Amino acid sequence: MWVRVYNSFVLFLYILNFSTTHGFAQATTVRFVDEQGETLADVDIKRHEDIVYLPIDSLKSVFDSNLTQEYHRPRGKLTLKMKGSEIGLRIRNSSVTINSGKEVFTLSDPPRVIQGQPMLPIAFYTELLPKLYEVEVKYNANLQRVRIMPKAAWELPTTDTTQEWTIIIDPGHGGEDDVGCQSQNGLIEKDIVLAIAKNIQKIGSPDGLSILLTRNEDVTTKHPQRVQFSNQNRGQLLISLHCNASYSTAHKGIKIFLNNPYGFLRFRQRPITLIGRESLNILKQDDFLKQSKDFARILEKEMNFLVENPIEIIELPLISISDIYMPAVQIELGYLSNIDDVTRLSKPEHITELTKSIVRSIQIYSASHKKSSEPNGIPSEEPTESN
Amino acid sequence: MAIFKKIIHSRLFITWCITLVVIVISLSLILLLISHSKRTIVQDAPPKLPDTAYPTDSLPEPQQINLFLLETTGTELIPKRVELRLFLETTQRLNQVVTALIKETPPNYRNPIPRGTVLNHVYIDSQKVAYLDFSHHLASGQIGGTTAELLTVSAILKTVFDAFSDDVLHVQLLIEGKEQETLSGHINISQPLRF
Repeated sequence: MWVRVYNSFVLFLYILNFSTTHGFAQATTVRFVDEQGETLADVDIKRHEDIVYLPIDSLKSVFDSNLTQEYHRPRGKLTLKMKGSEIGLRIRNSSVTINSGKEVFTLSDPPRVIQGQPMLPIAFYTELLPKLYEVEVKYNANLQRVRIMPKAAWELPTTDTTQEWTIIIDPGHGGEDDVGCQSQNGLIEKDIVLAIAKNIQKIGSPDGLSILLTRNEDVTTKHPQRVQFSNQNRGQLLISLHCNASYSTAHKGIKIFLNNPYGFLRFRQRPITLIGRESLNILKQDDFLKQSKDFARILEKEMNFLVENPIEIIELPLISISDIYMPAVQIELGYLSNIDDVTRLSKPEHITELTKSIVRSIQIYSASHKKSSEPNGIPSEEPTESN
Repeated sequence: MAIFKKIIHSRLFITWCITLVVIVISLSLILLLISHSKRTIVQDAPPKLPDTAYPTDSLPEPQQINLFLLETTGTELIPKRVELRLFLETTQRLNQVVTALIKETPPNYRNPIPRGTVLNHVYIDSQKVAYLDFSHHLASGQIGGTTAELLTVSAILKTVFDAFSDDVLHVQLLIEGKEQETLSGHINISQPLRF
């Protein structure tokens, strides 16, 4: 009798193992979001051999509510009509015909029938939709999130306002003596931040922004040099790029720091700036705290799509962006002490996504703030005290 | 030969032999005890304490204090309760507590104070600002990164404010006797800080 019980148990374990590894579809959900990060729909998905499959109805709820579908079960033929196109698909076949064969496209994964329903692979969204329509679709497997946004969202309107904007990008550290933090596999902070700074300049400059870098190569750049460069060029915004490190390998994700002498850590009195005395009531970096916070919130929204952990905005007395007389943020792009972040930062596509999210944040921020001839609205109030 | 055999088997000879063995063993034991007692005296002598740690009163009673450390798999500083014989004088107590924070790394914890760091001096002024003067290791031993720097500063401040909530309002960090702008290029520590 015990032998039978044992055999049944072994069989059960085998079936359980087979079903999890070979894909008896495991149900879960993905969230579709728009360019603002707002939820469009939560969709139940199935997995087959680790590939995500979505029901055809999800297209209706997130892309085209007038979509029609025809499924010929014996031939395994699926026809979708949406936004003026007829898309022909076949079950277990990666080829897709557009408008009765005028165009042919190959998906990286074929449609499948799962639990009796024809389902589309995630590649249908990320590969085919951007080809056919003016949309950009990104899937973040870690977050189980799909972002659909119009391609036009990346195009900065070339108005007079934006053309006159100067953005200072400050890649932290630099030179042989100041490499910043390092990962165990040899990623170095000064190199990562310089690469991203150059990418931002490359992507953002043609869109009408004047983007200046405090250093263009691997050279030692002291804090006063960075301050002088930034203030002389009278930027509307400064972004200091850094990578993070911690004594705990559990720390990971992106963090945004703002300079506030009365933030999480608090000074006893207002700091004296490089230029001069308290009594002159001259501009200080933390006078721009409100604008810096506005920009940080835009960044948070844009970058939240890229990492698993929610992005934190932390206010501290910071030396790296003090004495900068414009709104400024310090972005810590990931932890070089965490294996997941190191893996991410090693991938060119993640670097591109980081760059795009920063450029897009600049774009949104600049569109919402009118440029003045003086550095952004000279405030007279004391910096706010965060709780 | 017969004479030798006679002597060996005589009672007197056996008695002498036994007496001799007992004397040797007793002497050895006495010598061992003497040498051991000398060594014990040397070993048990208390190590010389730094000047600032000399007690001004009678031997202090053990007290429990919290040292703020990182759990190996955690991301937050958490209080680790330890027992210390704290002196009555506040400055001496502060020296003891911060020194304990530097040195204590219990199993399953990580210490956010860089290795080799030494607390040189402590001083509390009339405004209740505690000046903590560390060796250069506190800055040169940083691993880079704003979070690591924040953990170091926060561990010191949390430990001090937890143990000296009435005596210390702000903490000024000094490196080798001087004010510094920052430990590793991120957080401004040029002024006295609090939470």
